[in-house]
Amino acid sequence: MNKSLLTVKDLKLHFPVKSGLFHRTRLYNRAVDGVNLHVRPGETLGLVGESGCGKTSLGRCIARLYKPTSGEIHFDGQEISHLTAKAMLPIRQDIQMIFQDPMESLNARHTVGDILEEPLIIHKTGNQASRRQRVRSLLDIVGLPTRSISRYPFEFSGGQRQRIGIARAISMNPKLIICDEPVSALDVSIQSQILNLLIELQQEYGLSYLFIAHDLAVVKHVSDRIAIMYLGKIIEEGPSDLIYAQAMHPYTESLINAIPIPDPHRKPERAVISGDVPSPINPPTGCRFHPRCPKQFDPCANAEPITRMLTDQHQVSCHLSELQDAS
Amino acid sequence: MTNLLEICDLVTEFETDEGLVRAVDAVSFEVKPGSTLGLVGESGCGKSVTALSIMQLLPNPAGKIVSGKIFFQGLELTQLPIQEMENLRGNEISMVFQEPMTALNPVQTIGRQLTEVLYLHTDHNETSAIQAALAILEKVGIPSPEIRMSEYPHQLSGGMRQRALIAIALVCNPTLLIADEPTTALDVTIQAQILDLIENLQQQLGMAVLMITHDLGVIAETCQDVVVMYAGKVVEKGSVFDVFDHPKHPYTRGLLKSIPRLDSRAKSKLDVIDGMVPGLLDLPPGCRFQNRCPHKTPECTTTSPNIETVTPGHQVSCLNWKSL
Repeated sequence: MNKSLLTVKDLKLHFPVKSGLFHRTRLYNRAVDGVNLHVRPGETLGLVGESGCGKTSLGRCIARLYKPTSGEIHFDGQEISHLTAKAMLPIRQDIQMIFQDPMESLNARHTVGDILEEPLIIHKTGNQASRRQRVRSLLDIVGLPTRSISRYPFEFSGGQRQRIGIARAISMNPKLIICDEPVSALDVSIQSQILNLLIELQQEYGLSYLFIAHDLAVVKHVSDRIAIMYLGKIIEEGPSDLIYAQAMHPYTESLINAIPIPDPHRKPERAVISGDVPSPINPPTGCRFHPRCPKQFDPCANAEPITRMLTDQHQVSCHLSELQDAS
Repeated sequence: MTNLLEICDLVTEFETDEGLVRAVDAVSFEVKPGSTLGLVGESGCGKSVTALSIMQLLPNPAGKIVSGKIFFQGLELTQLPIQEMENLRGNEISMVFQEPMTALNPVQTIGRQLTEVLYLHTDHNETSAIQAALAILEKVGIPSPEIRMSEYPHQLSGGMRQRALIAIALVCNPTLLIADEPTTALDVTIQAQILDLIENLQQQLGMAVLMITHDLGVIAETCQDVVVMYAGKVVEKGSVFDVFDHPKHPYTRGLLKSIPRLDSRAKSKLDVIDGMVPGLLDLPPGCRFQNRCPHKTPECTTTSPNIETVTPGHQVSCLNWKSL
C-alpha cells in the first residue's frame, strides 16, 4: 500500500490582488506557495493551521475548485492540475468534499432527496427508481431516518445537516474526500458523533481523507499522518503520534501547547507565541515563522529553511533541525 | 466571604412565534469577588441568555425575566431603575462578546469607542480620557496604541479586535467581567494570548470573571468554579476539581468523555452522547436529559430532579447520582 492515491508536487496558488487607478494586478496573495504532500489509499492526512494559512485554498485546489497557478496534482495515476472542466467531470466522482457549514453548502430550496440525488443524475447513474433506492440507503448509512428524504435542510439540526453533507460526499463512492473543517461548527457532544461516523465510513469503504481543521486535538484523533501548514507552506509533516510526541518545529510545539487541556490539574506552562499570522501578500523573508518564533537565531530572517527528512516519515522545515544535525 | 454576584432561581422567557420559550429555568449560582466562574454548555442551553439577564440587555420586548433575583454587591438588579443600571453597566459590570466585529461599531474609531465609556462613567476631560484610553490599550497588549486609537475596527486583525473589545470593557476597572465566548472565533495561538491576558488583568485589577464557553479545556485552564448547563437548567456545579475529577451528572460525564484528547489513541472510537438537545418548546416531562441518558430509569420520565449536594460546594441535579 505504498502507492499514493494523491500526490501534490510544488503546488502554488496565487490570487491576484487588484488595486490602483486602472485596477492593475500589482500584488499576489500567495495562499498556497509550494506545497508537497501525498495521501495513500485508505489513509487520513490531517492538515492543520490557523486561519489564513491557506489550508482551505489547498483543499479546494486539490478538488480543482480552483485552478492552481503552478505545480502538479497526481490523482490515481493521472495529472489533473490543468484538466478542463469537461475532462475533470469523470474524476470528480472520485474526489468529493465535505464543507464546514452545512447550512451554506446545502441548497436551502432543495429537499434532502434532491440534494442527494443530484450527483447521481450528473454522473448519469441508474434510473430514477434505483437512484431513489440509493438515496434511501445513503440516509441509512449516515444514520438519518428515511422520511428525511422529502424534508428541507432548515428542518435539521447542525449535526444532522453535516450528516446530509457526508451522505452527498459518499454518494458516488469516491476514493478521496476532502473534509474542510467538518466538525468545527458543531457542539462538543455532536462533534464526537460525526467524527465516529467519518472513522466508520473510512473503515467500511476504504476512503482516503484529507482532513482540514484548526483543532489539533480533533485532527490528531482522526489522522494517520499530520501536515502543519503556515502561510502557504507545509512546515512539518509526520505520523500523528510522532508529531504530538516529538514536534520539531517551534510552530508545531506552540500549537500543541496552546490547546486548552480539559484537566484542571494541568495548569499550563505554555510559551505563548506573540503576534498574529502575517499577511500572505507580503510574507516575511527567510523562514516565514521567524517574527513570531521564540527560538529564532541568525539565519532565520535571511534564508528560507529547506525541507529535511528527519526519518523516512518525518519531515520539517526549520533551521534549528539543521543545526542539531550538524552538531 | 460574601458573594459579588448571586443569582437566585432566575427564570427568563422569550416570546416567539411558536410560543413561550423558557430559555433559563430556575438557575442559581454565585460568583465570589476576584474569582473566575465558568458557565459551560452547548448552544441553546441558556448560558448567553443568563449573561444578558445579568446585564439587563435582553431583547425587548421579546425577552423577559419572569422571576428570580440577581444580587450584585447587594443591589437587586432585576428591580433596579434603568438609570442606575446604566451607571453599573460598562462601569462596575462589563461584558466581552464573542464576535468583536459585530460588537464594535464599524464606523467609529477605536479611540472614540473607548473614550465614550469614560465620558459616560467618569469625569475625565478630553485629554485625560485619551491618556486613560492609551494606557488601557497598552495594558491589553496592542502595539503602537497612538495609531490604533484613530483606526477603525476593520483595520485590526481578529485578535487585535478582541483586545480592543477587552480594553473597552476594562477601561472603567469593573469588579465583574462577563466574557461570553471571548475566544471562540479566534485561532488557538491567539486564544492562548487572550486567555493569558484576561488572567493577567484579573490579577492586576482584582476583578471577578464570569467565563461563558462551550470549551471544557478553557474552563479547566481559567476557572476555579464551574456551572454546567443543559437545556436551560443547571445540571451540575462545583469547583473545577470536583466537576472534572468526580463528575456526577451523566451529561457532564458524557461531555468529558466525548472530547478528542491529544493523548488519546488515533482513530479510536470516541464515547458519544447519543441524540441531541431537545427543543425548548417541547421539553419532556421529568429530567431534560432523559432522551440521551444511558442511565435513564422510569422515574426520570416523570420527576424533575432537584439540585442535591454531593459534597459541600458540589451540587448535582440528577435523580440517580448516588447509584452512578
